Amino acid sequence: MIDRQDTKIVGKITRRKDGVARVTGQEIYSVDVNLPRMLHARTVTSPYAHAVIKNIDTSAAEAMGAVVITFDDIPKVRYNERVITVPWALHKDKYVLADKVRRMGEAVAAVAAETEALAERAARAVVVEYEPLPVVLDPHEALKPSSAQLYETVMYGDNEIKVQNNIACQREFTEGDVDKAFAEADVIVGGVFETTKIYHAQLEPKTAVCKPEPDGGLTVWATAQSIHNVRIVLGQIFSIPLSKINVKRIPCGGTFGSSIQMNTVVPICAALALKAHRPVKLTLTREEDMNDHTRYPLHVHLQLAAKKDGTLLGAKEDVIADIGAHILQGYSYLGVCLGWLVSLYRLPNVKYKGIAVYTNKPPSCAMQGYGNPQVTFAAESLMEELAEKLGMDPMELKLKNYVGLGDTFWGQGPMVRSIVRSDGVPELLRKGAEEIGWYNRPKSGSQTGRYRRGIGMARGFHTSSAGAPQPGDVIDFSGAMVKINQDGSVDVVSAVMDHGGGTLEAMAKLVAEELCVPLDKVNIAPAETCSTVYDVTTHATRGIYAGCGAAVRVAKKVKQEILETAGRYLNIYPDGLEIYLDEVNGQTIIQCPAIAEKRITLQQLATRCWTDSWKTIAAVDSYRPANCPPAYVSVFLEVEVDTWTGIVRVIKSVMGGDCGTVVNPDLARGQLEGGLSRGAGFALYEQNTWEENGQLTSKGYWIDAKTPGIMESPRLSEFNSYFASTYEPTGPFGAKGLGEASSNPVPAAFANAIHNAIGIHFHELPITPERILAALKEKSK
Amino acid sequence: MDPKVITLTVNGRKHQVALPPNITLLRALREYLGYVDVKNGCEKGDCGACTVLLNGKAVNSCLVLAWQANNAEIITTSGLGSAENPHPIHRAFADEGAAQCGYCTPGMVISAKALLDENPHPTEAEIREAISGNLCRCTGYGQIVRAIQKAAEIINKEGDAS
Repeated sequence: MIDRQDTKIVGKITRRKDGVARVTGQEIYSVDVNLPRMLHARTVTSPYAHAVIKNIDTSAAEAMGAVVITFDDIPKVRYNERVITVPWALHKDKYVLADKVRRMGEAVAAVAAETEALAERAARAVVVEYEPLPVVLDPHEALKPSSAQLYETVMYGDNEIKVQNNIACQREFTEGDVDKAFAEADVIVGGVFETTKIYHAQLEPKTAVCKPEPDGGLTVWATAQSIHNVRIVLGQIFSIPLSKINVKRIPCGGTFGSSIQMNTVVPICAALALKAHRPVKLTLTREEDMNDHTRYPLHVHLQLAAKKDGTLLGAKEDVIADIGAHILQGYSYLGVCLGWLVSLYRLPNVKYKGIAVYTNKPPSCAMQGYGNPQVTFAAESLMEELAEKLGMDPMELKLKNYVGLGDTFWGQGPMVRSIVRSDGVPELLRKGAEEIGWYNRPKSGSQTGRYRRGIGMARGFHTSSAGAPQPGDVIDFSGAMVKINQDGSVDVVSAVMDHGGGTLEAMAKLVAEELCVPLDKVNIAPAETCSTVYDVTTHATRGIYAGCGAAVRVAKKVKQEILETAGRYLNIYPDGLEIYLDEVNGQTIIQCPAIAEKRITLQQLATRCWTDSWKTIAAVDSYRPANCPPAYVSVFLEVEVDTWTGIVRVIKSVMGGDCGTVVNPDLARGQLEGGLSRGAGFALYEQNTWEENGQLTSKGYWIDAKTPGIMESPRLSEFNSYFASTYEPTGPFGAKGLGEASSNPVPAAFANAIHNAIGIHFHELPITPERILAALKEKSK
Repeated sequence: MDPKVITLTVNGRKHQVALPPNITLLRALREYLGYVDVKNGCEKGDCGACTVLLNGKAVNSCLVLAWQANNAEIITTSGLGSAENPHPIHRAFADEGAAQCGYCTPGMVISAKALLDENPHPTEAEIREAISGNLCRCTGYGQIVRAIQKAAEIINKEGDAS
């Protein structure tokens, strides 16, 4: 067991370095980037969800002075926007512009012109002749041989493979003897759970700005969670050496998973810039953005088998994932849809089948949890039903079976196995139960009257990264450079993205702590692909654990070099020196404790290294996490159901987080609170529906996507949060992740609280007023 | 219709600009005058990211035509203060963790400013009402409400100057 380290900077509340720039409007996002002689682009989007493109006439648009590209102008390379899966296991089904239309609003051509207004007119002047095809929207329908087929073939690695019945990929898994477990079980519970294809609703519309360079390369500013992956995919598509593509890190206006992949706008913008020989900017309209990506909706058939004493014996899980018109990371997704379940509870016997199905809808991509909220909704709802059958307290049933300290878990799929080394679950649950008044909650369904209150809880987790002892089919590593400047200040050069949660603030704090340097002397340097080493992407709740973990690893090397360099100057063996932060004077001191005059500040040392024409103290390295520790979260809710209107109101919400050492306490609280908001949206309000022709019913109006506003959010007195006092021995200063974990259990907590209030289990999200009223009516029959 | 030269006073600085009639105030500010601190979220009045003060009232600048704002006084978040000299609302937002990705923040700050100008001692319910037209996907709103409460405290103690 590693001892907890005392920290001077980590865990302290400080004004974040980029805070004032953000509030005063000085922060620049991709959409704000304007370059000299920049053209504005618009896409020509399909009014059909499934169609053959017969002919495109661009003459009228070109006569207006626009630069136009169609399928004929783009490289004939099928690619996958999301290159986190190893290349030989990657499905690739799309081109820069559609070869055939497979969803509403898909770009079939694009134009660039002097102004956006002219570009819009030119886009409308492009005449496209379509042959509409039958549209298939329902994944169960899509599996039938008689349904419209989206693809004949796709690429799998370098091989072309046939697609049958719209099945993009499937995955089966068996462990133990599930039939025996179910035969020997005292109690079996099961159900079908449905979740919807909601919109990420990041505030910034996705944008790319591409500037062609004289050497044939590109400079790119784009809404992206990984600058390196954007560069790699652009290189693959346009056959440009990566050394000639420079992608700049720029803040994102929220992502929630929607920009893990290189966004569709990026290669379209790049193709236009290369053709026009001028910089081009392409921003999606909100309607286009809503057609561009959504969460994976999941159909889950889950059964759990248990002994009378509550010990779980096994599970059967079948899932169908509607991946929409293109595959992003469907195969890995099917792996995690089992991983989330078996890493939530100890299930020695498991049988699983997952199918990823193409439909004529927006492509599904990761959205805060990558299937975890969907699976946890099913699992935590069923655990409630199992507890009811067993006559047990659901919380005790969960504590008896949860995957915790010392257990093996593989949340990120069967290849990504590690051991749980820090576990705050009992602390989270006991504290939450106390705060909400768990033991005084009413008996489910016992209440009468118009307003009925109920208390529910759910627990969940997310992995901190997709790290594992062995390489798997998912790429996961980070790197950084740390250097000491000539005045003793520090630059941290890393490609890690911060989507707003404070990942880079954490990086500054962790590096400052490691080097014993005041926080205001640590600079998170602007980053671009040409001057940073690879970082996979900020996803999988890996920012602090793996992304910042790499920076701390490198800082340790720099610290060693500081000691060795100081040793040379002081004529002391490095092991005889210690380094500490003199907080009063804001100086880093390197000193020999036994000989007081053998002392030098980091500032003096760095300056001498410079004036002696010796060196810059610096290091660069990469780091592959060999674990992906679970960040646990618990949610306790008290809700009030208005049985006349079906409206659910939160009376009290209590969230607990186990992220190991809390690096940014105020920002970590913000993660929990934001997770509750997005979880509540998924649980109660948000829904995308499609008309028969594949048109979004909302027509892309954001307000109809029902993203929660403040009126749907708890008042200050109705929300409380706390953190477990754990220490993750494999994490930087004991830290692990938090972000995605914070919304994973929220929908189940709502379902369980509503069940406690009105005695009805809901298996379908969102639990809208209409559904509540219908269920109450059905129950009263 | 031909462009018309209109006068927009933005953050105290007078601009004369020739604009066609179909240009919104949002696009005039961002694209013609370079005020990219006014954020474009949806251009339909759904999200509030583009909120500015128009003659002291908070409006969605995407729903106002630039011609309608002729001769008006417009205040954006960068007009309240700067990084070197932030406004109390800016300081409160930065200190309370009210800005995560920061994209909704310029609009939120302006909605807060409009509220506090009219009502220096708002209740929580009044704060909620005031920012009910501003969407934030990151925070869940609690830290924004706390920031506005804190800003009110600072302003009542130290005044409204940045």
